[in-house]
This record gives sequence, structure tokens and C-alpha cells, in this order.
Amino acid sequence: MTPGADRPDGVLPAPAAVPSPAPWAHRHLLDVDTLTRSEIELVMKTTDEMRDILTRPIPKVPALRGMAVTILFYEASTRTRVSFEVAAKNLSADVVNITASASSVSKGESLVDTIRTIEALGADMIVMRHSVSGAPYLAAEVFGGSILNGGDGWHAHPSQALLDLFTMRSRLPGGSLEGRKVVILGDVLHSRVARSNLWTLTAMGADVWICGPSTLLRGYEAWAAHGAAGRRFTLTSDVSAALKDADVLMALRIQKERMASGLLPSLREYAARYGLTQERLRAASPDVVVMHPGPMNEGVEIAADVAVDPRSVITDQVTNGVAVRMALLYLLAGTHHGKVGA
Amino acid sequence: MSAAVKYNGTLRGWAVDPAAGREGAAEAVVADGVLTALTWLSGSDAEGLSPDGVLILPGLMDIHAHFREPGNEDAETVATGLAAAAHGGFTTVALMPNTTPAIDEPSVVARIRAAAAASGSPVRTLIHGAVTVGRRGETLAALGELADAGVTGFSDDGSPVKSASIMRNALMYAGSLGLPIIDHPEDHTLTEGAEASEGYVATVLGLKGWPIAAEVGSVARSIALLTDVVRDVPGARLHLTHVSTAAALDQVLLARAAGLPVTCDVTPHHLGFTDEWIAGARRFAWDASGDPWADGALVAGPYDTSLRVNPPLRSPEDALACWAALADGTATAIATDHAPHTEVDKHVEFGWAINGISGIETALSLVLAGVAAGQLPLATAVAALTTGPASVLGERSPIAPGLRVGEPADLVVVDAGASWTVTAAALRSKGKNSPLLGRAVPGVVRLTLANGRVAYQA
Repeated sequence: MTPGADRPDGVLPAPAAVPSPAPWAHRHLLDVDTLTRSEIELVMKTTDEMRDILTRPIPKVPALRGMAVTILFYEASTRTRVSFEVAAKNLSADVVNITASASSVSKGESLVDTIRTIEALGADMIVMRHSVSGAPYLAAEVFGGSILNGGDGWHAHPSQALLDLFTMRSRLPGGSLEGRKVVILGDVLHSRVARSNLWTLTAMGADVWICGPSTLLRGYEAWAAHGAAGRRFTLTSDVSAALKDADVLMALRIQKERMASGLLPSLREYAARYGLTQERLRAASPDVVVMHPGPMNEGVEIAADVAVDPRSVITDQVTNGVAVRMALLYLLAGTHHGKVGA
Repeated sequence: MSAAVKYNGTLRGWAVDPAAGREGAAEAVVADGVLTALTWLSGSDAEGLSPDGVLILPGLMDIHAHFREPGNEDAETVATGLAAAAHGGFTTVALMPNTTPAIDEPSVVARIRAAAAASGSPVRTLIHGAVTVGRRGETLAALGELADAGVTGFSDDGSPVKSASIMRNALMYAGSLGLPIIDHPEDHTLTEGAEASEGYVATVLGLKGWPIAAEVGSVARSIALLTDVVRDVPGARLHLTHVSTAAALDQVLLARAAGLPVTCDVTPHHLGFTDEWIAGARRFAWDASGDPWADGALVAGPYDTSLRVNPPLRSPEDALACWAALADGTATAIATDHAPHTEVDKHVEFGWAINGISGIETALSLVLAGVAAGQLPLATAVAALTTGPASVLGERSPIAPGLRVGEPADLVVVDAGASWTVTAAALRSKGKNSPLLGRAVPGVVRLTLANGRVAYQA
């Protein structure tokens, strides 16, 4: 039975009803580095329930009725912003959208003042995207509600890593990442998706490989040497070694600015050396799961025929994104005592 | 403000006098501001006096501070800066020229002198002039006129002199005036947008890496230019400020071994803190592992902008190399790089926060914490805060730090056995941008006498 369906008001049961040793204790979700394996399991379990809701004719529950969610994006985004908005609306939250160009941010208002203003306007939760690493921590310092990091600089993209994990588990036999070879390919230097995936995937026991041109791996040598709190991953510029018998391949977007700053000679050369093509795919496991966080540069980091290959789960990632974000909003709301599930 | 009063009294403690090469239990008598007697004690007279207790040190000298006047008086004024200096045990402070306008001609020198005089503080104010007009690195500032106005060195601190040709000319011209070039070593082409020292912590936090090569390359260039110049201009001198990496210190060691007139300083924050602090660790450099995620050392939130500084906080290995450089003489001085900033400039996103740490009031405490942890002998640490900086300034130093009978008392009394909690209210500086806020640190300054007068008394 769908959770909440047995209750007259359709409200979901409290997260504690989910069989898990650890109830959700984080008021904010700023990064995934502090999440334990059991907390990640709780997100996955809750996402399963949200997936069920999404299969209903009217995919809407009143779980967050009366909650005010502000979506504050300082960077351009389509899929993440819309995904959060749909997720919040599916949970019956009141949603306000703020984009930097349309607010007093463009008049030079500081982040701290903006957050205080949003709080004064009654927001319970803020989903925030910012170009500067760590900005959500500053917001969390002054905000009385919950901050959900929708991506900060090069640092973290928690909801993306969790939807990636959910997508991998739904495709991999046995639904487990334990010992699976997961390759993150491309511009990891500038990638918050790569950083967050490193934490979640190593927490779940995956054999993580990071691969790209040496200029785009800078700094990861030191991380790999330290082992991410004892969690190991492998770093290489050798795409053949990385792709060999891979269970999951995740290509990252290459941005044109990387040429101007001398990190790459050309997109053409990148595509030739690191692009995910059908030919390269043959080195991977026959059932390899192909992923991309979007937006894609088809023909650069991923060939068009690979993006639409049956092994590609790129559109599943988008669909699962809504469910994961519903789960995260729901879990964070559960820390607002007296406001939810009453 | 009225002039500070001359001190009268008898002081007992563990005296350290690097100028005399002596330390021990002592009693100092100050009458009408003059040190009239210094008696070294032994036996039962010395009972209760130890290097872990009350210390009597020559007044400290800082050759690198920012008092923000003129131009940014919201962050600091000469008066508040001098009060902060006295609270930190400093009796002589040299100010950097990155004011607005820059100290690139004598009228700005006069203006700062007037502000210092008006403050009534007995703490000596020294002034470094800019190397280039507006610190833009294009044309030489009025070096001769600035020298006549009494500046103690030249620096474009904050922005290194980009052109090797201008830098070479500056070394020659300043050398002929008998003044050092105080070089901020940084290759900007490697540090554009950089946020934290390149490596593990910066990578995990998604901060743009600040390569060590940016400092090492710049140090190597300046040393090469000095080598080229010193044959013809024997007075040419290069002082490298806030050196923060083991690799750059190695370059300085080699240059000094070759007999070149090169000196360098390190800062209290590069001695005490590491990049682990940006991740949320709060252990001192000598207790750091370099992997705060692995060993549960993350006790504070990440991205505290009070830790954003140029050069950036480095690895524990680099911090220990700074201590070692003081121990073996590669580094001559500890300089605070006191950089007060307003909340408006600091309470923002990490990547947009202005660089700098308000540090002149906590410098002695950080150094004493390191001494207590065995990083440096007390006498060496005191020398790096007194005679060392004076030697960098050479003949232009207005004082030879020391405890000399018959001269005006210029000293600081600090209780190394007591601790104080760093709070915004406790700091005299307008700049509350200290990573130590809320933390108890050793070393309580009880009395600062500058030129015989009371600059600070607890």
C-alpha cells in the first residue's frame, strides 16, 4: 500500500515508521559528506515511497501542506529548479521561485540579507543554488528553517548524487553498489556532481574510478592519497583502464570556458580522447549503465547514439530526480517539529 | 587624546633579552619611564619565576600591519590599530602602503604621522612606502622623496610587482637609498580566483586551488633579480614577507647560504593554523594530521571567511616548515600581516570574502602556544618578534629592541601561564575577523611600555 493512503488526510507517516536504525536528524542538507550509510538508505527507502506516489493518477499528497518552500537560484538551471518545484508542489507545499536576476540580488543585496528577508516572508525551507562553494553554509548560519543545497560552486550537489545513486540501484542487478565499478569521466575539477557522488558511492561500497585529462583532475591526487575518510577511489587519465569492465559510466559536461583557461586544447580533442562512444562502451560490462547529469554536449563528452542507447538511463535520472527531491523535502520537513504530519 | 603616562614600578618575571643573549628570572625597576635597574635573580630570589609564568620581554616589533587609514577607516584607524598593537604587546609597528590613496608620495606619510600623533599612543608608527605609483606596478613611486620622509621600506604588498623589469629597477633604486624592498611573493597568473591552498582540503571543499608554485616561482624570481642587482648596488636588499610554504623557504635558505642580502618573515596564522581549519578543524598546526575528515577533527562549520587570507592557510607540513625556518634562522621575523576588515566585507560567501586576518592582538598568544608545544625555544621566538624584525629594517629601525638599563623602558609583561578568551569585545581592533573568536589562548599581556610610557595596562 502507498504510504499515507490508509490515513484519511493522506498524510505520510513520520519517517520513523520507515524501518531504519537512524531516523533523519539533519535540519539542513548542505553536503553528503556527513551522511551515514543508513541515512542514505533512509533516503532511498523514502524515495521508493515517493516513486509510488508519482505513479498515481494524481501524484499529489498533502504531506507539506502549509509549508512554505522558497527556491532561490543564483545560477541558471532548468532541470534542478523545475524538479524541486514539481517535488515541492507534489507534496502540497507553497512554492515561491526567486532567480537572482529578478530580485534585489542584482541590486547588490548580500546573501545574508536576502536569506533574512526570505525568512521574514515566512519561508520554512529554502532550496538554494549558488555559484560560490560553501554559500549554503552561510545561508544556514542565518536561516531559522531548513536549507537544501541545490548545488554550490564546485562543492556539492546532494540531490543529484542521491538521484544518481537511486538510479544506479534501480538498474544494477541486486540493487547494490557494493564492489561495483563506477566511472566518473570528464571535468571533475569543476564538478560538484563528481564530488558529491564520490561521497555517496564510496559510502555504499562502490569501486569508484575518476578519469579525465590531468588538467581536470588537479587536486584529486591529494584527495585520493588521503582516501576520503578512509574511502578509497582510483584516479587515472587512461580512459581504457577506467572503462574496462565498468558497471556504471557517468560522463560529465565539458564547458567551453575550459579551453580559454588553457585546461584543454579543444573540444574536438576532448571528444576524440575521452568522449563516450559506442566503441569505447564495448570495453565496459555488457550491461553497463550510462549516465549523465545534464545538460549534455552531445558529440563531445557523450556521443548522440550513446545518449539514447537502451543502456542509457539519462531520462530516468530526471524522473528519479523528482522522487528523490520529494523525499529530501519530506525528510527535512520532519525536523520542523509540530509543522508536519500533525 | 593626552599623552600616555610614564611608568613607575618594579616588575618581576622571567626576562628574555635576545639583544643581550640572556634569559632568566629578573627584577626590573622602572622610574619615570626609565629602566633604572635590571637584576638577574637566582636561588630563593628567583622562586616562582619561570618561562611558563610571567615574562618580561622587549617591546615587540611588527614590520607588516594594515591600519586602513586613509581610505578604509570603517575597518581600522591608526588610533584603533595602535591600541590593538599595544594590547598585543607591540611597541613598534610598520604600516603597509595599500591605503587609499596608496602611500606613494610624502603627503600620505605626513597624514598618517599626524593621525598617530593625535592618537596619543606611545607605540611607534613606522611607514612603508609603495614601490610603484598607486601600487599598479607600472612606474616607480617617489622612492627618494619617500625615503626623505622617513619610510622604512618599500612594498606593493597585496599586489606583487608584476613586471620583472620594474622589480629589478626597484631593488636597485631602493638599494641605493639603503632601504629594503618588501616583496609579497605571488605569481598572479597562477592565483586568479584562487580560494584555498591547492590540495586535499581545497579539492574536497570545491575551492579553487592556490598553487604552491605561485609563491615559490615568485620568490625564485625576486632572488634571481637580487642576485643580478647586488653586484652593482651592494646596498640592495630583499625582504620576502609572509612566506608560507616549505618549498619557498627552501629557496630563501639557499639564497641566504649563498650570502645574498635576503630576509623573510612568517606570520602567526601560518604558524598556528592550517587549511584544515577551512574544513572545520580547530586544532593547531602542530596537532594536525592533514586529514580532518578521517579522524573526527571537524568541530566547526566549514567555509569560515575569517580564514580567507593571502597567502592561504597551508598544509600542516608547510606550517611546521615555518616553525623550522624560525628555528634555523631562514626566517628572521614573525610579522602579523594584521589585516582588519569589516563585517560587510567578511560576512559573505567564502569565495567573495576579502582576504585577511585581524591578528596583531593574538600574535603573541599563538607564538606562545607553539613555544609551549615545543615548536621553538622561547628565546628564539622572542627574537623573531623583536631583534629579528629590527634587523630587517637595519639602520632605519628607530629602536634596537632590548632591556637596557638607563634607557626608556620599552617592554611587555605577559603572563604565559594565564589564558584569555578571544572575543569581539576583547579585541581593540575594529577588525573582528579572527579565527580565534571564542577560543581561550595562552599569554595574557599585563603591561606594554613603549618608550617609557604606558601603552596598555590590564
